[in-house]
This record gives sequence, structure tokens and C-alpha cells, in this order.
Amino acid sequence: MLLGALPALACADIAVTVLDADGAPVGDVAVYAVPRTTAATGSAGPAAAVMDQADSAFVPHLLVVEAGTYIEFPNNDTVSHHVYSFSDAKRFELPLYKGNLHPPLRFDTPGVVVLGCNIHDGMLGYILVVDTPWFTVTNAAGEARLPALPDGDYAVHVWTPRARAGDLPRPRQTNVSDGSARELRFRFEGKLMPAHEDRHGRSTLTWDRY
Amino acid sequence: MGQILNALRSIALPALAAAALGTAVQGRAADEAAAPTRSAGRHDFSIQIDTAWNVPSSPFSAWVEGGLGKLRYDESDRGLNAARIFVDYRARLKPGLTARIVADHVGDGGADADGVDVGEAYLEWRPVPTSANRHRLRTGAFYPPLSLENGGPGWSSPFGVSFSAINTWLGEEIRPIGVEWSMRRRTRLGSPQEIGVFAAGFYGNDPAGTLLFWRGWSLHDRQTRLHDRLPMPPLPLWSDGAIVGHEEQWLEPFDEIDGKPGGYAGVEWRYGRRALVQLSRYDNRADPYAFSGGQWGWHTRFNHLSAQLALPRGFGLIAQWLDGSTDWLTATTPDGRHTPFTEHVEDTLEAKYVMLTRLVRDAHRVSLRYDGFEVRRDEAPPQLVADSGRAWTLAYRYERPALFDVTVEWQQIGSRRDLWPFLYGAQPRARERILSVGVVLRLDSSRLR
Ligand SMILES: [Cu+2]
Repeated sequence: MLLGALPALACADIAVTVLDADGAPVGDVAVYAVPRTTAATGSAGPAAAVMDQADSAFVPHLLVVEAGTYIEFPNNDTVSHHVYSFSDAKRFELPLYKGNLHPPLRFDTPGVVVLGCNIHDGMLGYILVVDTPWFTVTNAAGEARLPALPDGDYAVHVWTPRARAGDLPRPRQTNVSDGSARELRFRFEGKLMPAHEDRHGRSTLTWDRY
Repeated sequence: MGQILNALRSIALPALAAAALGTAVQGRAADEAAAPTRSAGRHDFSIQIDTAWNVPSSPFSAWVEGGLGKLRYDESDRGLNAARIFVDYRARLKPGLTARIVADHVGDGGADADGVDVGEAYLEWRPVPTSANRHRLRTGAFYPPLSLENGGPGWSSPFGVSFSAINTWLGEEIRPIGVEWSMRRRTRLGSPQEIGVFAAGFYGNDPAGTLLFWRGWSLHDRQTRLHDRLPMPPLPLWSDGAIVGHEEQWLEPFDEIDGKPGGYAGVEWRYGRRALVQLSRYDNRADPYAFSGGQWGWHTRFNHLSAQLALPRGFGLIAQWLDGSTDWLTATTPDGRHTPFTEHVEDTLEAKYVMLTRLVRDAHRVSLRYDGFEVRRDEAPPQLVADSGRAWTLAYRYERPALFDVTVEWQQIGSRRDLWPFLYGAQPRARERILSVGVVLRLDSSRLR
């Protein structure tokens, strides 16, 4: 649609597939392209984003935003949450609330922000703040598409909290030109840690005492 | 049913108090909502009515009536019984600071049981973490964090009607009154592995072990409240009031006797919601030569190992193992002669259980539990068995969370007690059985909004 509306602007997609060491697709992996030439900018500035809390879980489990984004933390549960982060990229605390009590927070520093709840030990969420407007997250088939990148050189990164820092694939350099899509394939070297299990539904055993 | 009505009446007062407190907190919350950067005060509660239709079979009368039975009910209780009515209330006073109180009515177990008393009451402080370490501080009267079975409101069990022998005993005789610190952390960013440690110092709990020796282990769902005076088995030697300083045969298990604090500490390892292993040590450090307010100190300490594992297809496995001992002064000699309380003895306490449970479609649960337990004296051969037995418990529960559940439970306990012919003139071996249909009605604050 964008291409149709602006035929003069040269741009193309980058399609990414993320696999684990056994070749199985990995979903919920952040993918982002950092332009290596200053020419390739031109987003309208970061949009607002939402990190929801539902069923005593952070939704989405991993949120990727551009630096400078304002993020809202609405609580749609019937129970209160007390959201906090002690990560260097953003230290904050939203004390005890339901609904939309707190105004959005601005996330300026690129990096990983680990979210917790001071009431519910099992709640865990991540915000990845990146220094580019081109980012997305892989689907269950391990696929993601960064649409309509302007011509230029990019370093494409992937990130997931399930990989130990040393096991993250190295960023891949790629060039977008002539409107032709690029396809990249990433593979994790080591074994990934299991995905965080949110508390959806009831569990057979009790993990957090009443 | 009259019993249930009485209980409802007596629970009304604390419930009203809780509601009043809740309204006050909510009022404050409304004020704070006007200034949106401030926090909202909050309160949560769970009110629960436990009733059961019981068909017990036992040669003894129930221990709660001063009998020797391991069950809460005996054949005279056949029919409908109000097991418990309680409010488990939490007030979030400030961010990170919570007050919790469990106000409990039980209709049995002592002359003054007919009222409302507190089971747990404490303040909990969780500072907002400034690193991966998540600290928690509690002060008041609380359960040590040992049971893997009693994770429901008011320390109830989501698995069946009765508790395992270990947790029944914790409910009867263990309720530290003190300060507990605990800490949990993920081993690294993104890892499902967590490690935790906890440590506590406490007063009270000095007579703990008394009931375990004189009556033996038991399996039921009655938790002792802070001021309960429990009946004791009809020990003939105690009919001479001069020996123990009073004429009644009772136990107040949470009393402080020697003025010396006890402690417990443990470590924990977790792997997400799949596995948990905990190892701990508990020691009430009571002086067995101390006597106060009609009760002796019993130096009771134990090691405790527990583990749980989530298995595929809704199955789960839980196990706890307790291995300890208690030092006390006995007034009895094996030939039945009557002596003052001067003979220092040490008895071994041991119990374990394994439970396999399965939850199907979030509503149907089947649990099978095996319990093994023993109280014995090893020091003077031949070994003296005060209590040794095993129990099988099978329960089916249909559950609507935060509304009601219905449980059908069958239990069989076999035990042997070498001392009993001479202590009580009772048979040394017994088989006790109970079929229970428990109905629990629940009102949960999370359902009201
Ligand atoms: Cu929460």
C-alpha cells in the first residue's frame, strides 16, 4: 500500500527467519534493523505503545519500541499490580494500581528493561528499547518481516531473553536497494532457555502461596 | 445446621470489621485517584465456608474431643459437620506493605473453640527490588513456608479435604511468632531458574511435640488458632493434678515457656512452574526442663525436604519428608510406675508423603496420597514405638475457582502404638477410615469487581 502510494521512494522489505540450534523455528524474538547510513531515517518519530497486564501476565511478554517512545501500563485485571524495573535502561516503579492510574512513561535509553510485579512473583515481562524505527517480533513460525525499509545499509539484530548473551547470533549486515526484498536467516548456537510460562488458567500445583 | 448458623453469626463481626477497614482503604484510594501519580490502596479477601458430610469409622473417639483417634471426627459425628468458616483478609497499606489476617471459626477442639480466633496475623514488607534480589520481611504470627499442600486461602488445601500427616501437624502445633526474612532471585536474566533463601527467629511454639507424642500423628483439616486450648488424650497419670500443676489435660501449643527464641532457615530452588525443591531446618530451641503456665517445654527440631514437579497432561507430583526429634521430661516409666517429670527422653519424629494429582479441564481434580509416619524412641532397646503407621487418601474434587468446590474423599489409616495398652488401656493397633463429602463455598474479592 505504502509502495503504491509513494512509487518514487525506493524501499524494500527484509524477511527474517529465526531458528534454534536444532533448526526449529523460534517465535517471540525481537528483530530490528539499525541503519548504517544516516540517510536512512525518516520515521515520523516514535509512536506510543502499550504494555498491558491481563490474567496476571504482561501482554505482550516482549515489547519492542524505538527510543523515545511513551509506554502505557494499563492494568486490566481485577487485582492490583505494582510494576517495577531495576534495569539500567529504565528504572521505575508504578505503585499498586488498577486500570489506567499512571501516565505513560518515556523510554529513552536503548537496552533491555526487565519488568516485574512486586505483588505477583511469577509476573515477568521485557521491553527492548532500540535505536531505530524498524523493528518487529517473530511469529510462531519464527518469521518476521521488516517492511518498506528505505534504500541503504543496515545491521539486522535479533534478541530474545531466552538466549544467553553469548549465544545471540551476531548482527547481519545487509543492503537494501532496487526495491528487492532481502531474506535473512538467523540461528541460535546454544540451547535456548524455555519460554516463560505465564499463569494463564489454573495450574495443577501451587507455585505461589495465597 | 444450628452449628453452621452459630458459626455464621460469630464470623459476622470480623467480616464487618474487615469490610469497614476495606471501605476506609477504598475511600483513601478514591482521594488518591485525584492525584494520578499516587498509588491506590487496596484490600483483598476470601471468605470461605467449609462443611462436610462425614462417615467415619474408628475404634477411638476423635482427638478433638480428647480421644485417641487420628481423625477429626468419630462415629458420633456421622453426618453433616461445619468444619470451618474463615476470612483471609489482606490490606495493602502502602506500596510493598501488606497486613494479612486470617480470622477463623471452627466448631470443635476444646471448650472455648466456639468463637472466632486468629490463625495467622502478620505484616509483610516487600521493598521494590533494586537488583535481581527480591526481599521479603514478615513479622507477626505465620506458618513457616514449608507446606507444598496448603497453598489456598487460609492455608487450605486445593487437593482434598484432609492434609498429609506432616502438614496436619504443622497446622496443629507450629505457628512461629516472630520475624522472617526471605529472598528470591533468578539465576540470570531470562532464566527460569530461581534460588531462594529464608530465615526466621520466633517466640512461642515451645510445647510443640506434646500432642504428637501423646496422641500420635493425625490426618485432618483442623488448624489450631492462636489462642486455642486443645484437648489431650485421657492420660491416667495426669489425673494427679500435682504432677503437672493443673487438673485439666490440655495443650496450648504456641505458648512461650522458657523465654528463649527458636529459629528456622532454608534454601529453595525453582525451575519456572515445573520444579521446586526446598530444604530447611526448624528448631524451637525449647528447654525441656522449663515449666510455665501449666506446660513443659519440648525441644522439637526437624529437617524438612520437599519437592514438587509438574508433569505432562495435567499431572503433578508433590512430596515432603520431615525427620526430627523432640526432647522432653517424662513422668512415666515402662513398668507403669508413677514418677515425677524428671526422666529426660528423646523421641524421633518422622513423616513423609507422596501425592500424585491431576487437574483436568481446569475443574476436575483427582489426588492420591500416601502418608507414612512414626514416633519412636531409639535410645533404650528394644525400640519403643509410640506411633507408627501409614495412610492412603484418594480424593476427587470438582472446583469452580473463587465460587465453590465439592470433594469426595476416602481415607484409610493403619497404625500401631506399643505404649497404648499401658498408657490408656487401649488396643495397640487400629484401622481408621473416613469417607467425606466436603462442600466449600467461597466469596473472593477478585470476583466482586
Ligand atoms: Cu501483579
